[in-house]
Amino acid sequence: MTETIRSNGSALRRTKHGFFRTLIRQWQLAAMSVPMLLYVLLFNYAPMWGWVNAFRDYGNRKLVAKGVTPYNGIANFRWLFGREDFYESIRNTLAMSVINLVFGTVSAILLAVLLNEVRRKGFKRTVQTVTYLPHFLSMVIVVAMAQNIFASNGPINALLTGVGLTQTPVFWLGEGEYFWWLVGVINVWKEVGWGTIIYISAMTSIDPALYEAASIDGAGRFQRIIHITLPGIKSTFVILLIMNIGHLMEAGFEIQYLLGNGLTANFSRTIDIFVLEYGIQQADMGVATAAGMFKSVVAIILLVGANFIAKRLGEDTLL
Amino acid sequence: MTNAAYRDRKFHRRHDVVFPIVNTIILVLLMFATLYPVVNTIAYSFNDGTDALKGGISLWPRVWSLKSYTSILQDPAVYQAAWISASKTVIITVLNLFWTSMLAYALARREYVLRTFITTVMVLTMYINAGLIPNYLLISKTLNLKNSYWVYIIPTMFSCFNMIVLRTYIAGLPEALVESARIDGAGDIRTFWQIIFPLCKPVLATVALFVAVGSWNSWFDTHLYCGSKQNLISLQYLLKMKLATTQASANAANASVDALANQSVAKTTPVTIRCAITVISTVPILVVYPFLQRYFVTGMVLGSVKG
Amino acid sequence: MKKLLSLLLMLAMVITIVPAVVAETDLEPITLTAFVGGPGTQAYADNKIYKKIEEEFGVTFEFEFLAGDLDEKLQLMTQDLTDLPDLFDGGNSAEKLIDAGALINLLDYVNPDDTPNLWAHIEPQKNRIITKDEDTGEDVMYIIPNYGLPDGPQIALSVGGPAFFIQKQVLAWDNYPQIHTLDEYFDLIERFLEANPTNADGTPYIGFDILCEDWRRFCMINPVQHLMGRPNDGEVLIDINSEDYATETFINRVYAKPYYQKLNEEFHKGIISPDTFVMTYDQYIAQLSTGIVLGMFDQAWDFGDATNALKVDGKDENTYVALGLIYDEDDVADLLPEGWTIEEHYLNGSLPNLDRGFGISVSCKCPERIIAMWERMMDADWQLLLNWGVEGEDYSIVDGRLTMTAEQYANTQDVEWQRHNKARYFFESSPKRQGWILDGDLAGNCWEIGNQDEIVFGLMNDYDKQFLAAYGYSKFADFVNPPIDLAPYGEAWQIDKAPIEKDYNDFLKIQDTELPQVIMASTEEFDAKWDAFVEHINPSCEVYSNFMHEEVLKLVAAYFGD
Repeated sequence: MTETIRSNGSALRRTKHGFFRTLIRQWQLAAMSVPMLLYVLLFNYAPMWGWVNAFRDYGNRKLVAKGVTPYNGIANFRWLFGREDFYESIRNTLAMSVINLVFGTVSAILLAVLLNEVRRKGFKRTVQTVTYLPHFLSMVIVVAMAQNIFASNGPINALLTGVGLTQTPVFWLGEGEYFWWLVGVINVWKEVGWGTIIYISAMTSIDPALYEAASIDGAGRFQRIIHITLPGIKSTFVILLIMNIGHLMEAGFEIQYLLGNGLTANFSRTIDIFVLEYGIQQADMGVATAAGMFKSVVAIILLVGANFIAKRLGEDTLL
Repeated sequence: MTNAAYRDRKFHRRHDVVFPIVNTIILVLLMFATLYPVVNTIAYSFNDGTDALKGGISLWPRVWSLKSYTSILQDPAVYQAAWISASKTVIITVLNLFWTSMLAYALARREYVLRTFITTVMVLTMYINAGLIPNYLLISKTLNLKNSYWVYIIPTMFSCFNMIVLRTYIAGLPEALVESARIDGAGDIRTFWQIIFPLCKPVLATVALFVAVGSWNSWFDTHLYCGSKQNLISLQYLLKMKLATTQASANAANASVDALANQSVAKTTPVTIRCAITVISTVPILVVYPFLQRYFVTGMVLGSVKG
Repeated sequence: MKKLLSLLLMLAMVITIVPAVVAETDLEPITLTAFVGGPGTQAYADNKIYKKIEEEFGVTFEFEFLAGDLDEKLQLMTQDLTDLPDLFDGGNSAEKLIDAGALINLLDYVNPDDTPNLWAHIEPQKNRIITKDEDTGEDVMYIIPNYGLPDGPQIALSVGGPAFFIQKQVLAWDNYPQIHTLDEYFDLIERFLEANPTNADGTPYIGFDILCEDWRRFCMINPVQHLMGRPNDGEVLIDINSEDYATETFINRVYAKPYYQKLNEEFHKGIISPDTFVMTYDQYIAQLSTGIVLGMFDQAWDFGDATNALKVDGKDENTYVALGLIYDEDDVADLLPEGWTIEEHYLNGSLPNLDRGFGISVSCKCPERIIAMWERMMDADWQLLLNWGVEGEDYSIVDGRLTMTAEQYANTQDVEWQRHNKARYFFESSPKRQGWILDGDLAGNCWEIGNQDEIVFGLMNDYDKQFLAAYGYSKFADFVNPPIDLAPYGEAWQIDKAPIEKDYNDFLKIQDTELPQVIMASTEEFDAKWDAFVEHINPSCEVYSNFMHEEVLKLVAAYFGD
């Protein structure tokens, strides 16, 4: 198998037995990268021995305390997949992370584009600074505010009944079907400004000459946005998208934990909350590890899949 | 000029008037929406704790009180903790930028033979989670970092996400930059430090912000490894402890609250303490932010470099 | 800026590093590390009580408190049993420490000869405190309970635990009626609401709140046992008159239905708002603090801050009084278990806080010194010092009575003051005297400030005095029956549910989700929803009931020394 690569300005043929020769020639690149490779092998991969715990029985705390944790095959996985509410938690996790991904990405790019169109620097900076501030508020504070805003006698319901859209107040916080969307809205509110930072820094790499040239060619503002700005951040967008698709199994737990209640529990319980309830609080390391392992495996499948599709579409790829 | 072309120009001109106005209105509305929770938090933080329990405070404190702040800031431990947090944040940020950007450069070089392998190994770290206990044992037992300042630094020197952000940016820079350096006889290390690194200022500022905020806001490492060492605890840990203590004392039933009411002792309550903590821990970030913002609001003029 | 920072750093270093005045004691100075399974605040170096401890015992402390999740923290700490804090308080998960073998058996040091004080302290309840190791069969005591072993007769001034609460103004409005049944209670609230839909500011009153956030779900799921006439056994009803202590979960029984049916009716009358099922604890406290909630089921310690807020605002009429409601026996006669009679018992006998407080870890080098210290501290001089403080400074003795000025009392509640003047976190987790001072010049006083007449009644506000007078009562506990004797098994909520945790979790989750739906069901649907709920929860109830019954029997057997 050969691959055409460029080095020192000329095309070389690299073959398999030339690998080490090439590596030696690239010692500077190796020096820049191998230390961190060893670093992650130690800090991220070495602890993976912990995965064996997914195949052990930690169910009896008194036995665990005596160090008796026999291997029990795939019993922990069996237990997980025998539970209806585990599937439910997978559904909730995926639903909320897809909503977060779509809402979060679209709103961040939209805001970044709008900011990019602002001419006055002072205004631009002010908007940017103000919009990212909610990122630093704790979820407890934000959720408490959202609960007041969406309460039966809160401003949203006052508005809805005021303009006659509903007769009786909508029970936003107590109906499971609204829960995912509330989480989406609150996350956008809290994170939209923070999310733009990465896109705005990507926009700085766009050559201003392109905009000038486009203007001279008579391109309108929207055409410039569509033909210059958006393509300019496409690789960042694609890379982030691939990464986030890998993170679809993570919808967090803090916001769901705070905003959820008994009535919405069947829609708010994410995998992480499920693990917290049945793994950590109860110190069943076997189940917790099994769930974590399951999440990791799915994440890697999603990641590789997304990366593959991007490659087929000729986009930048993560791997 | 044909009619069509004229209409077109006119259309564009009208757009150029309408768009900035609409844009400004949208952004101003958004500012209000995002400013509200912030101002509300500040208002609560300056309100009397007991009064704030009733809720209903909007943009201005109802019963003015500095008690939430004084109860936190009069504790000398806060300053020691702030010093720990600030110093570790600076060190971690510098180390992260150093290692991460170098790695990002290496992995942006398409000809590098270990590129795919190392990238894959790195990326997977974002998705595999071995669980808390093996990590804890590694850091506290194997590496013996418990009750040591180094526990803040060593395990957090690198972040794959930031590496990818940097790599994407570097990959987007014109290839000609590296080529011309090569022709001048520069090796990769020199090319990186002299040519690429300075061009990455906007994205380095972004990554620095991410790393610094993450480090500044972390409390879990103290909780796991340094909770018993008073001179090593971080600010966020201390603040979190203050909040938890206020919450716990809120629950303490006491038979004779009358005596307190008669004395009108200003009490702190979780509601106001939480807000004051948010303000106290966010202000340093706000102070640093403009220095970083300079880099990513102003676009770099790459054209001139390219020429 | 830099200078300032380094100055502050130096300052902090000086404060933390420079040792306190060198102790004058023959004992070799030691530093004990201590972990407390709850949040806390470090004492200042000049703390006068810790200084006295250092002087007499040569002991200084290095405390660690809990900032995150307790179970997670304990799980990590117990990974290595050679590196544990000397004094180890596992908070509400101390069972996990015991199971992990992290604590030593204190009976190796505590016995009638070596430690007469400590022994006398635990002796009356030793059948509950000392248990048998399941494997070896030897007697073990890992923790001396930090609370619940009072000297002398039980002190019950007010209801500190569960009850149906009602605003004092509601009772005053109806001319101080006697309210004893559920129907009377809701009837009164309805009538009050009809006459007074809003408060003086025009804010609508809320008739009845049901808090059900997370572990505070007890406000929603616990009342039935009390309506049946039992004190707090958690989620099970125990027939102490039956020979084998018949134990069952009550939530799925026919006698639970009338309560939730009542709530359902009140919901449709608008006495209960749907918002109550989605509110957080903070929102609940906010509602209570504004004085718009007329009644709720809760435990008194759960809303202390709200009471305080109302008093600071001068809204004494909006504070709450605890009522001991029961079912009207005639209404539920057909539903009761065989031979069951209902008599109100909200107050229970003094309950030792089993397995709570400091244990001594297996990695501690000097357990005998800790025990010797505790033993000496059970003497009156040390107990007064730890409870009341320094005489003349923090309290005075007038005609043989312990008294405090209002200012001195307020100090004791001030967290900053405590950091200079109280050994708070050490004392909270250590064995201590409560109840009455029985011997010496001070006999007849109380060990604890909060129980002393001079404090409780001396500082009571006029509204409460007049309110009690209107009822002809001397204290708020008079609204309920006097405490009954503690059952042989203690209170069943203390039983560790670890062996059936997964079923227990299911049991709780089904209630979280379905009980609010039952309460909010339309009148026609109520029966069907209730039946569906019972059907869903029955399997986990069965497991839980059986488990609890076995555990109760074990405790009873241990208590009677079988």
